[in-house]
Amino acid sequence: MESQAPIASSLRPRTAALSRTGKPPSQPSLPRLLVAAFALLASAACSPRADDAAFPNRPIEIVSWATPGGPSDLLSRALADVAPAHFDGQRVNVMTRQGGAGAAGMQYMQGRAGDPHVLGVFTASGTVNMATGRIPFAPEDFTPILRIQIDPFLVAVRDDSPFRTLGDLFEAAHARPGEVSVSGFGAASAHFLGFVRLRAAAGDPDIRWIAYEGSADAVVAALGGHTDAAHTNYNIVREHLRAGTMRVLGTAMPVEALPDTPSYADQGYDLQPVHWRGVVGPPGLDAGTRADIRARLMAAIDDPGFREYMERAALEYATMEDAEAFGAWMTEEVTTSRDLLQRLGILDG
Amino acid sequence: MTAFLDGLLTALQPGNLAALLAGSLLGVFAGAMPGLSSTVGLALVLPVTFALDPTPALLMMVSIYMAAEYGGSITAIAIGVPGSSPALATTFDGYAMTRRGEAGRALGISLFSSMSGGILGTILLVLALGPLSRAAIAFGPAEYFGLGVFGLSIVANLVGRDPLKGIISALLGLLFFIVGLDVLTGAPRLTLGTNMLMDGLGLVPMLIGFFAIAEALKAAAGGRKATAPGGGITGALPRARELFGLWRTILRGSAIGGLIGAIPGAGATIASIVAWNEERRVSKDRERFGTGVPAGIAAPEAANNSCVGAAMIPLLALGIPGSASAAVLLGGLTVQGVAPGPLLMAERAELVYALYAGFLVAVLLMLAVGRLGIPLWTRVVRLRPSILMPLVVAISLVGVFALRGNAADAWVALFFGVVGFAMLRAGYPLAPAVLGLILGPMIETNYRRALTLSSGSHTIFLESPISLVLLALAVVSFAAPAVRNRIISGKRQAKEPQ
Repeated sequence: MESQAPIASSLRPRTAALSRTGKPPSQPSLPRLLVAAFALLASAACSPRADDAAFPNRPIEIVSWATPGGPSDLLSRALADVAPAHFDGQRVNVMTRQGGAGAAGMQYMQGRAGDPHVLGVFTASGTVNMATGRIPFAPEDFTPILRIQIDPFLVAVRDDSPFRTLGDLFEAAHARPGEVSVSGFGAASAHFLGFVRLRAAAGDPDIRWIAYEGSADAVVAALGGHTDAAHTNYNIVREHLRAGTMRVLGTAMPVEALPDTPSYADQGYDLQPVHWRGVVGPPGLDAGTRADIRARLMAAIDDPGFREYMERAALEYATMEDAEAFGAWMTEEVTTSRDLLQRLGILDG
Repeated sequence: MTAFLDGLLTALQPGNLAALLAGSLLGVFAGAMPGLSSTVGLALVLPVTFALDPTPALLMMVSIYMAAEYGGSITAIAIGVPGSSPALATTFDGYAMTRRGEAGRALGISLFSSMSGGILGTILLVLALGPLSRAAIAFGPAEYFGLGVFGLSIVANLVGRDPLKGIISALLGLLFFIVGLDVLTGAPRLTLGTNMLMDGLGLVPMLIGFFAIAEALKAAAGGRKATAPGGGITGALPRARELFGLWRTILRGSAIGGLIGAIPGAGATIASIVAWNEERRVSKDRERFGTGVPAGIAAPEAANNSCVGAAMIPLLALGIPGSASAAVLLGGLTVQGVAPGPLLMAERAELVYALYAGFLVAVLLMLAVGRLGIPLWTRVVRLRPSILMPLVVAISLVGVFALRGNAADAWVALFFGVVGFAMLRAGYPLAPAVLGLILGPMIETNYRRALTLSSGSHTIFLESPISLVLLALAVVSFAAPAVRNRIISGKRQAKEPQ
């Protein structure tokens, strides 16, 4: 490891490049970060419990149960990047705990009840997985803190598609039942339910939902002409829209970067299915602590570094007025998802 | 050309070179450590790259990716445990060569072939970015099904002396893959009511269980042959003439790696097994494959490194990650404000050329780091099995846990260890089961997807020329060994080869 020290210190940090003032004094070096990462892995099982000293009195953990490099994991890491300044200089570490569709990470948070030093990024996929029972927890098993961002769904087609509007797509599906296909992430997933809601608003034509392991795979299927359209998020198709290799038929909500694309509502489908991501704490945080963490997170996500991340990833801020509202939103999502899945016959009534 | 030289100059700037070197060291480590892979190595440095400029960040990530593909072969050759799944095929001949005492020779062949494959894959990336990216999206459900079946047909060549046991092993692998959530309906299958099995029985725990734990149990049970690693290991490197004599094998392996690597989701593991099998098929002494033949190391190693450049093709041209590692790379690029896609070449040409040049420099650094490591690894191999094997098991279990931070994975690895030991005891080969676990999901989900699209008509598999060719190849590949044996045994009255 010693041989890496001079290497790491000669790497120019981006912050230095931006400020043009040379190296900031306390840039974490590569070996230190690696050591921290391994130490974290090793100490995961025996972390000390919270004590009564003022919060925060030791490093903050952000538990990540999402795919490495995926949108939720990136949110965890972007938060960890800006958070230390807003948590009294405490280190903020992302800890990977994958498994059981997220249940492993959530289980870990249950074991840290009442400890404000452990946070997790929760998403719409989490509430859907609660509705299907894949995750054996309910929103009440967490302390909702702050919804941060929304990622509206949209329907995209290859540039040479005959469809110009959502109406074209659904008309074709009504005319040729079972022959029009839409690819998207997952079965009984948030993406699937978002599309099912749209399809219901269009009179429930027989459209085939072709489930893929990831959103990118689903877009490839549409791009290769294997399916007629992809139901996904703006971020995944952005470059293809800019290059003109794909078009968007409609977005769930107006997207700033797509001023000419009509929303679902503009086309007569009165609904706004979105993907969202936010931060939750372990169960049993009192109202004061929750307000404290929320205020710190609100400041952190206003940090220029975080704003840059949001802009680059083309995500929209969607904080909710208070933590109670966020919790109520989560609970409602579980209920509506469960009702919808039961109506579709996917879940037993 | 000027653009490429500019890229080379960028890659050779001190800061960037340092990033490449750090990536090579970490990559070889992550690759060689059983359980860790290029994907984990990349995920580990992701937060570090946030603090870097886009160019060094990108260079560090590509050199990790490249070096890890070689690193995986180190443990595959030295101790018979693939350090990461693309090195699985390297264990067949690489470990056999080590057991003959020629660890240095095997590592040298692997390193040279990895380097050549890495360079050829990069050349392919530079020259064929456009056409190959268009070919990659032509792969739909029917084509993936064809590819999966073709891959599985290789089982016929892995079964060893008793075809029935090989096929049972492959079927076991297919049974294991069913565990977990069904991608197409979201329903849990064979999860025994526990959430920890929802993500299925992973490939990495299976590799650790089969190749580290089962081997350790076998050694403990006294089943290890007298020729097991001990005093007789030599670190002598292969001669240059031997290496250059493998050029045809390396070209073939790199071409296979380049083509399969460019198809999103197919990946280096499948490419390297296909490369090993094709090499065996065209070889004159195919009977000796699996007993420590140089070409049996060169082909898969050239293929898995050539996949690295090829996996960048869908990523750079379409913004679509072709592998799990490329997905982490995409995440890192997104944070840097670099958006791979159809416009990347036009808008960020300097970065793309720096990446091309970075691959070549990364390959050379991998060669240097790898060469310096060979004496160390051959020394490790000389350890007594009673010391080495428990160490391997301990390190492997830590690696399995670190992969996802999930202790259940370690239990799954132990389960596979016991299963693997029982299979070894009863004379069942392990590789077919691994192939079944890798290819089962590709075959099943794409079969069902294709039938959903075709409203249940099986002609979809014959209408696509790609799928038709792959399925025909599968029939030939599966039937060939049996037909050949029939002819041979007919000629000389069933004389057992060995």
